[in-house]
Amino acid sequence: MNLRIILITGANGGLGTAIAKAFLRERPDNFVWLGIHQSGQNAEQLLAENLDRCRRVSLDVTQPDAWQTAVAEILALHGRVDVLVNNAGGHIDALLAQMTPGAWTRVLAVNLDSVFHGCQAVMPAMISQRAGRIVNVASLSALLAPPGQANYAAAKAGVVALTQSLAKEVARIGITVNAVCPGYIDTEALAGMNEETRQSARAKIPMRRFGRAEEVAAAVRFLACAEASYITGSLLKIDGGIL
Amino acid sequence: MNESTEIKAQIKRLLVENLMLQITPEEIGDDQPLFGPDGLGLDSVDALQLVVALDKNYGLKLSDAAVARNTMQTVNTIAAAIEGNRTPR
Repeated sequence: MNLRIILITGANGGLGTAIAKAFLRERPDNFVWLGIHQSGQNAEQLLAENLDRCRRVSLDVTQPDAWQTAVAEILALHGRVDVLVNNAGGHIDALLAQMTPGAWTRVLAVNLDSVFHGCQAVMPAMISQRAGRIVNVASLSALLAPPGQANYAAAKAGVVALTQSLAKEVARIGITVNAVCPGYIDTEALAGMNEETRQSARAKIPMRRFGRAEEVAAAVRFLACAEASYITGSLLKIDGGIL
Repeated sequence: MNESTEIKAQIKRLLVENLMLQITPEEIGDDQPLFGPDGLGLDSVDALQLVVALDKNYGLKLSDAAVARNTMQTVNTIAAAIEGNRTPR
């Protein structure tokens, strides 16, 4: 069986886990690599339940050398990488006047530099294959630029621009590059909110509910599927109608 | 066909197949510029693919942009780089 090799970063989080599960359910020939910096319960469970189709690769997404090593490990086993999902991310919110340089730098590194390093690491293999799918998980914050998220919004807007620029560069080689922009998704990021803030956030959503990680995962899976072959440089909002 | 001629023929096939050129390998001259309007008209995306193909097929690493530019001027310059890259026997 020709396996379809998929690498997902940030695979221990709620969204990453949902994306990995979506690919594992989609096709029996999907082989999922979980790019993980620090292992956790979600990833361990996925690995235990999918011993023959799921593996872990150590990956600090902010480090280019870590990317090279991780992709080399995958190529050594499979000789190809078909799909990269740049999902790893995180935010350290603060008003810009009070934001530490460290919070700025860290958020840019985790959300934007990581996508650059990841795309660069898989590019030789995808060019050689003349095929590949890259899906970057951006955010509605890239488009809304909410207060208190200057670092995160700038980083995710950078992801959007990188996605569109790279898509044009590699379109004729058979590689597509797209981004999803999730809004309020009920993952660990929202779990930290108090109930009042959650209610206030919910009220801004025309659908009057938070999105589910599975709903984002379905969009990621679609952008990586064969039927999405003519879609590149696109942004898919998954936000319950906010924007 | 001697070894040098064979390498040049391989490079021309590699160019046509990897860059999906609408010409035959035989139509490419050994000294014909690969880039620019007076040559084959390859662009930066073609260069990117060529770098990957030369690495994959010949182990020729062109990670330095200036070296890549000098190496990929013509079929002859690529052939010379491949021959120079080979371990002496």
